[in-house]
Amino acid sequence: MAAKEPPFFIGWGKMPAALRDFTIGIGLGLVVLLALAGFMVAATQNDPGDGAVLGGAAAVGVLEAAPYPVLHVTDSESFAAGTALLLSGVGKRGVEDRAGSLDGKLVAVKGVRLARGEIEGVQVSPGADGMVEADGAAARPVAADLGRWRITGEICDGKCLNGAMRPGTGLAHKACANLCLIGGAPPVFVATGRVDGAEFFLLGNADGGPVTQEVLDHTAVLVEAEGRVERRGGIHVFLIDPASVRLAR
Amino acid sequence: MSVRYVPVQWNRIKWVYDGLLVAGVLAYLVAFLQIGAGMADATRPVDGAILRMRAFGSCAFFLLTVILCIGPLARLDRRFLPLLYNRRHFGVVTFAVALTHAAYVLGWYFAYAPTPPVAALLSSNTSYGTALGFPFEALGAFALVVLALLAATSHDFWLSFLTAPVWKALHLMIYPAYAALVAHVALGYLQDVDNPAFAILFGGGALAVAGLHAAAALEGRREARSAGTWVAVCAPGEIADKRARIVRLPDGDRAAVFRNGARVSAISNACAHQNGPLGEGRIVFGCVTCPWHGYQYRMEDGCSPPPFTEKVPTYNLRLRDGVIEIDARANAPGTPVPPLDVAGMI
Ligand code: FES
Repeated sequence: MAAKEPPFFIGWGKMPAALRDFTIGIGLGLVVLLALAGFMVAATQNDPGDGAVLGGAAAVGVLEAAPYPVLHVTDSESFAAGTALLLSGVGKRGVEDRAGSLDGKLVAVKGVRLARGEIEGVQVSPGADGMVEADGAAARPVAADLGRWRITGEICDGKCLNGAMRPGTGLAHKACANLCLIGGAPPVFVATGRVDGAEFFLLGNADGGPVTQEVLDHTAVLVEAEGRVERRGGIHVFLIDPASVRLAR
Repeated sequence: MSVRYVPVQWNRIKWVYDGLLVAGVLAYLVAFLQIGAGMADATRPVDGAILRMRAFGSCAFFLLTVILCIGPLARLDRRFLPLLYNRRHFGVVTFAVALTHAAYVLGWYFAYAPTPPVAALLSSNTSYGTALGFPFEALGAFALVVLALLAATSHDFWLSFLTAPVWKALHLMIYPAYAALVAHVALGYLQDVDNPAFAILFGGGALAVAGLHAAAALEGRREARSAGTWVAVCAPGEIADKRARIVRLPDGDRAAVFRNGARVSAISNACAHQNGPLGEGRIVFGCVTCPWHGYQYRMEDGCSPPPFTEKVPTYNLRLRDGVIEIDARANAPGTPVPPLDVAGMI
């Protein structure tokens, strides 16, 4: 038998010195490797965008309830007149139930400001003063029909996209986005190119109401969808045929 | 080896092992959360909760990858055996890290909704038919449940309660769990974002697990497989003193033929503790000593010395033309067999 036997290790016994050095070396090496891996994985994460929660805000404007509640601002310290605000509730909820009776009326809204790029929104505060009818005359913006379009982009939930979560888009966020949409948060179509200068579209169904359940199967991935585009004041609305949505090539 | 169950039988090696383990986990998390995250390209920083779910999730993946590499590495190079010794603590720590990841996911992505978190996790995405947008959360949940089960039954109490073969079969579920974890990551984070460092480390880790297992399996195949009731082993002089020669018997079982000076005996190669390869062990203080956790057996009857009660099967041996032959039919565990006297033949 060879003179140089590899040392033999018994857990409860004393470890031979050569083996001990080897083992401790491997252990320390692993610690260093793990630290390096953690650093590298963290440092190469990609940019989650500029969506953000920006503190309290209040606005008065004309409320449009369909397909999802939007406030067309007429007067506010935080937003320019004409800005369209996507309204959502606290947590993964929408505000359809509160907005329904206020459709077309002048409404005062209070809550937390959410913003990302060109889209603005408010998470309406749950208290009684979160959304109330205001005094004064109101006129909804006239909708401009921009015709039928086939657009490529991603269906997101307009709350997380808008900064409630960062990142609030993508596959890892898909189930969460679905949960928001099921709860009534407004869906937003983020186009890869611009249509009439717009990149973000509030999504609705072809009949003008909220999107159907089928859309949940197409969130968070790059899809093509067909429908009518309207410009309503400061926001573009994309009213899609659910059957036309398919994976983009 | 224990006659009485205590939560953990601590010794210095375990302390050092666990110390390094905890240091590794902390090093990963600190490097990720405190140093690396700040250097990532971001218009505004990633949410704290999302950052932590990424840190703990990726950490759990790397830990499980290392755990699964230890087994085949120890088979290919015996110097890695000490890493195997306390592998169960490694597993329990990995489960804790994975559980933290899951808690952040549930508490962030699946909270604040009208649906309760776990129900929301499993019901909000039902695109099971496509790879793109697949509900990868379910795969992660499966892996986590397996890790929980294995961590909960990792103690030797469960090993003897369930018996070694059942326990071993249960713990083989780590492989489907790892496969589910690889799919969980590949269909989720990897498909979602563009993170080259993670992609390389993830691919490298999964390939290392697969490659090392293939290499260890090939190594095992090289041991000759014999036929017949009496199977030739080798000449007594070919077995080093206090060491064994492993033979693969016609039924696929392995026996370890040990030589202690001028005496030769054969016992099963599978340790009663966790099926460790006894034939890769040595005779220490007159007993066959398992290379994995140091359980001991007397080579003439396969019994652990008192007060311990473990037993492994023994085998009958004979000498033919200067060659040791082994009877392929194992004796019941603990059956005494007088050792072959090979004085003058070595
Ligand atoms: S397998 Fe644990 S001591 Fe043998």
